[in-house]
Amino acid sequence: MKQLLTLLCLLLGTTSLLMAQSYTVSGQVKDEAGDPLPGVTVVVKNTIRGTTTGNDGRFSIQVPGPDAVLVFSYTGYTQQEVPVNAQRELDVVLAESGSALGEVVVVGFGTAYRQDLTGSIAKLNAREFEFQPVQTFENAIQGRAAGVFINSGSGKLGQGLNIRVRGISSVSASNQPLFVIDGIPVISEPVGSATEPDNPLATIAPEDIESIEILKDAAAAAIYGARASNGVVLVTTKSGRAGRTKVSFGVYGGWSSPTRKREWLNAAEYRELFTYAAQNSDFGELDAAEEFASETGTDDWNSNYDTDWASEAFQPGSVRNASLSITGGDARTTFLVSGTWNDQVGILRGNALDRLTGRINLEHKASNRLRFGTNLSLIKSLNQRVPSDNAFSNPLQLNALPPIQPKIDPATGKLNQNTLYYNNLIDLENGFNNATTYRSISNVYGQWDITDRLSFRSEYGIDWLNLQEEQFRGRQTLDGAPTGQGYSNQVNVLNQNVNNFFQYVQKFGKNFDLNATLGMQYQSGNTRSTSSTGEGLPNDRFTKIASAAKIVQASSNESAYAFTSYFARANVKLFDRILVGLSGRLDGSSRFGKNNRFGFFPAGSLGYILSNESFLRDNKIVSFLKVRGSYGRTGNAEIGNFAWRSLWGASFVGDLAGIVPTRIGDENLTWETTDQLNVGLDFGLFNDRISASVDYFDKRTKGLLLNLPLPASNGFTTITKNIGDMTNTGFEFILTTQNLVGKFRWSTSFNLSTYRNKVTNMNGSTIDGGSRQLGRVSEGQPFGYFWGPKYAGVNPDNGNAQYFDTDGNILDQDDFLALPDEKRNQIVGNPHPDFFGGLNNRFSFMGFSLDVQLQFVYGNDLYNIAGFFQSVNGDYFDNQSKDQLDYWRQPGQITKIPEPRLYSGNGAIKSSRWVQDGSYLRVRALTFGYTLPRSLTSRARMENLFLYVSAQNLFTFTKYEGYDPEVNATYISAVNIGHDFYTPPQARIITLGLNASF
Amino acid sequence: MKKILILISAITALFFAGCIKELDIQPLDAIDASIALETAEDLESAIVGAYSIMHSGALYGTNLNLVPELLGSADYCQWRGTFQSYRQIMNKNMTIDNAEATRTWIAAYRAINVANNVLANSGKIQDAAARAALEAEAKFIRGILHFELVRLYAKPWNAPNTGPKSRLGVPIMLTPATNEATASIKVRRNTIEEVYAQVIKDLRDAEAALPEAREGNNRFRATKYTAKAFLSRVYLQQQNYAQALQKAQEVIESGKYRLNASVTSAFRNKFTSETIFELYMNEQNNAGTANDGLTTFYASLPGIGRSDVRILAPFVNLYQPDDERLTELIYIGTGRRPGSRQTGKWTQFEQNIPVIRLAEMYLTRAECNFRLGSNVGNTPADDINLLRRRARTTSLTTVTLDDILKERSLELCFEGLRIHDLKRTGRSTGTFAFDSPKLVLPIPEREIRANSELEQNEGY
Repeated sequence: MKQLLTLLCLLLGTTSLLMAQSYTVSGQVKDEAGDPLPGVTVVVKNTIRGTTTGNDGRFSIQVPGPDAVLVFSYTGYTQQEVPVNAQRELDVVLAESGSALGEVVVVGFGTAYRQDLTGSIAKLNAREFEFQPVQTFENAIQGRAAGVFINSGSGKLGQGLNIRVRGISSVSASNQPLFVIDGIPVISEPVGSATEPDNPLATIAPEDIESIEILKDAAAAAIYGARASNGVVLVTTKSGRAGRTKVSFGVYGGWSSPTRKREWLNAAEYRELFTYAAQNSDFGELDAAEEFASETGTDDWNSNYDTDWASEAFQPGSVRNASLSITGGDARTTFLVSGTWNDQVGILRGNALDRLTGRINLEHKASNRLRFGTNLSLIKSLNQRVPSDNAFSNPLQLNALPPIQPKIDPATGKLNQNTLYYNNLIDLENGFNNATTYRSISNVYGQWDITDRLSFRSEYGIDWLNLQEEQFRGRQTLDGAPTGQGYSNQVNVLNQNVNNFFQYVQKFGKNFDLNATLGMQYQSGNTRSTSSTGEGLPNDRFTKIASAAKIVQASSNESAYAFTSYFARANVKLFDRILVGLSGRLDGSSRFGKNNRFGFFPAGSLGYILSNESFLRDNKIVSFLKVRGSYGRTGNAEIGNFAWRSLWGASFVGDLAGIVPTRIGDENLTWETTDQLNVGLDFGLFNDRISASVDYFDKRTKGLLLNLPLPASNGFTTITKNIGDMTNTGFEFILTTQNLVGKFRWSTSFNLSTYRNKVTNMNGSTIDGGSRQLGRVSEGQPFGYFWGPKYAGVNPDNGNAQYFDTDGNILDQDDFLALPDEKRNQIVGNPHPDFFGGLNNRFSFMGFSLDVQLQFVYGNDLYNIAGFFQSVNGDYFDNQSKDQLDYWRQPGQITKIPEPRLYSGNGAIKSSRWVQDGSYLRVRALTFGYTLPRSLTSRARMENLFLYVSAQNLFTFTKYEGYDPEVNATYISAVNIGHDFYTPPQARIITLGLNASF
Repeated sequence: MKKILILISAITALFFAGCIKELDIQPLDAIDASIALETAEDLESAIVGAYSIMHSGALYGTNLNLVPELLGSADYCQWRGTFQSYRQIMNKNMTIDNAEATRTWIAAYRAINVANNVLANSGKIQDAAARAALEAEAKFIRGILHFELVRLYAKPWNAPNTGPKSRLGVPIMLTPATNEATASIKVRRNTIEEVYAQVIKDLRDAEAALPEAREGNNRFRATKYTAKAFLSRVYLQQQNYAQALQKAQEVIESGKYRLNASVTSAFRNKFTSETIFELYMNEQNNAGTANDGLTTFYASLPGIGRSDVRILAPFVNLYQPDDERLTELIYIGTGRRPGSRQTGKWTQFEQNIPVIRLAEMYLTRAECNFRLGSNVGNTPADDINLLRRRARTTSLTTVTLDDILKERSLELCFEGLRIHDLKRTGRSTGTFAFDSPKLVLPIPEREIRANSELEQNEGY
């Protein structure tokens, strides 16, 4: 403590404010077209002194002396350094940047220029996705950031996405990155009670976002210490700009439909297949009509219906969005007020998301040295949700119903109740599942520029989220029968966060630039929930539990955690070419065992800008060249709030409650640790017309949380300990080119990433995905590799399904099943891609612009669990996928589809039969727009008017035969990645929109 | 400058000021083990907790009843449910990962650990009498569970000694696991003799200090006479007829219990005057309504149970037609898998489950008197006829040992005594001799893996 104070005093002493000779420089900043640029940041180099340009592009700033250098930066434009050279008036032209080298990048607790970075950070500017009708802002990252693999999981609105930065870093803790919005770590993990994870991030309006930075390597992320192993996503919201009050208004609307529907048997085909299947059953020559009657209790076999059940799962989707933002202010106070309304109707019946967000971002300069501000947001969203993939009430499961059964029961005129499986259209008529969220992510901050070199910033933020789940199932529904059921769940989450930090910049002599940060962070999180279920409602018009005769379940609970952290970072630039970065964070958390409460997470990095060396300085080809490397440590603290404790909990006897030990804890239990090496190369050619980056990373994670078995004779069966290890290695490649500049502009950016995951230590144990799933975790293999019997097609002689044993012999199913376990199971797939990435092309000409983004994933396997029921050559009466018609019927026939034998399980065991290549290439986003000429718009007193048509997921190219290759069923354990089970496909969305500003 | 320095100092002080204390966050739906057992009330809660484990399906809620019944299934009952674990028990071809053998072992030692935790902390109870009573209750729980374990996971007491392995009992656990080190201890199996000695010691201690009676909601908890009734069972299992007789006699003589007027009463009402030890159930907290619980497995009534266990004809035919234990307590199923004979003892999910009834004490007294040639309390024939009269069937004028043992099975069928009675009397079940290794549960595979010191049973 004392030393720290001394240090601070020393720092101050050495910098003792030399304010002599300071004077004011003013000027104007314009873009290449000669229009003034408002909002450009102007900073005196090597100080924290800065200002922004007004609406007329003008600025004025105090500089310490005639040899000062001003740095001009603005999102999307190349940063420029301009020596003052004793001038008092400076005019500057900023060029739109294609390359990102000059841009400002938000790092944890500060900002940096791209060319000075030694860590690996991906950045997305709002304009890259601003006209895209993305469901939730994370969608925008997909295919645009190298090293970030995103799988939306399904086409359900408001569902959680899988976001993996540089592979998979944990077996039992979370694998999602840490999300930080305006300095506040926010709630991003599901908080609701449904099996399907809800997505708290879907409450955030993409329109409010200025930029998204993803911290990937240790040098970038270690400043977030114990929470950074899965990467950190920093979201910065838009801020106000001084100048004339500017009003922007945007509106779009459109339609959505499934990216693809599967083909199913029609009534005639269904009868044909099942007639054959019944006749060839192992249970003798059966009569299909009789069997169908005994299974369904109907004589629908003899009816004339031909119902397209699979299409009943879908509805025409739509999206409407309107946003308004007003910014303005003067030299002392700037503001942004915005509101967005977004209304999405999903492609899946009963699915909708309606979101209303409001925001006020305000900053006031009390003096040259003191400023305050606040970012306030209020959000309300209503998500009409659909059930879990494996629920009979999941609309997609309608595709299992026989086409020969009617949708409407002719006897009652109502929805048919006598279907083979539950006709879940009844659920939609007779129930609801609403999740309403109220949320505010807000902060207040103050910054005191103590001297020109030293500033202190204090931020206090909250993330408050209130989720209200209301469900009702009427008396006709499967779950609500016979008297109706109401369910209510209220979850209240409050995260509070305090950041206090000093920033210091100093240039020592000509060749030593220092940029340092020192601070602390405190965060607490608290979750409270109350739920109840009532049954016995008077009739279906009563849906609230107040009307329920019986309360069958009620519960309330509360949980909390806290982090206290101290961090420091120093970046040094030597001779304008050598970059040295050091950072460290000390993280303490209530989640860590009392013997291991604090962890230290250091990182170091080096960079060398070769292009600033004399031998390259004036090179005609190479305009920029930097090599960099980093090594450091991060942690994963998503291990549960009380996993380290030994606990006693309630346990009941009749009307009495007692207590029993519920777990034995390891007081050393703590974060999972990742050590990461990163080496990279950045270069620019032909004056940065071509710029590229290559990164290689090697992540070694140790101390994975696993359950160690204990002798139960002592009273406990397992203890959770930090015992497992895994590694992730991979490459990332980014190429950005300005193919054409001038009137017709064409730029391209391309990214490609790989990761290779390997679990290296499981303490000898394995985790299996379940009886129908193929996912598995074991030593020496990637997380979630597919393990099971390997399908070998059909024996042409007899129509039997065949499988490979582990020696590669092909056996008929019965012989195969007689083998011992170890002869039957083998590796049958890998759910991880060989590589993935995106390709973005942007064209503009005379006000027209076209933006096309392709996204691809290559080499991953998918497993369709529903194959057991829907692609199993008529083993039971589920409707079958159309390919099953190619079944074996006579000796000698070569086919992949075994002979249909009703109830006999021919080819129906868990196997690679339903494993397929999940590679795909998708036209993820396309926007074609036209900016009206200023001569026209100015007549209408408009600053700008942009009209566009935009599309999401316009085309998908894949060999996967299921609905959509971007799939991840969620009801199964996390081990089972790349599994599909009646999972709804993605939506193709086409919108028309306009943006106007005044 | 000076002002700035002061300000910086102030900020810095704020900065590093104790947020560390804030890191000590306690859970609210559970209590940290280090502070869970502080007061007399806490320990009382822990004892109730131990009972809650005993009430679960892994112990008295299902398995300590159903497993002994299925082990002695020949000419008696049949498992026809889908659970492979129970099917294996009926077929006497259990695998080492048999789910029932696994969960019963785990739950019994969980409850024993709670009892040991209570004993280790009982010094915190100021009132000496209260302390003694709670210690007695903890020993009662520890005693009966070791008894259940040794009966199921080891050879019978009366099996011939064919070497050390044949006398392997179960580990005796007398100290609590409170941290990782104590939860990781690898113990060996004690001998059958050592386990029985410890069981008797615990139950003797319990008998001495348990209260005479319990009131209200606490009637599921052990009294002095519950301990005596269990001691009677233990001695009977050891063929120590004199002691078994004495304990049964003490229970009967106490006058605390009376036979109910009807044979069904104990199974339709809570805490009737006949039960000595009873599990306390209600609509929310019971042994199971779907995949567990006696009612689930034994019943077949509309919407209740699934008739996984049906009664076989040879057993039903042992009853005289007028016997109300036949007419009132055996019925033809009308729910799932209808049409088979079901026991009428377990028909409601929320109904309490009697574990020891006074009827058993009469039967034990009769058997011991007969074997010892004594008439303590009453003659064997009178004791037997007491039960037969209650069942509205004809009395016997003279009784043989076979009559007494038959009466015992007619009265106590499907109450978890079947295989234990067969074993102690040296009778076989089907082709399996009383000391067949196939009638002994395997030490769970997971346990052998976690504890290299444990020896597996013969035949596994």
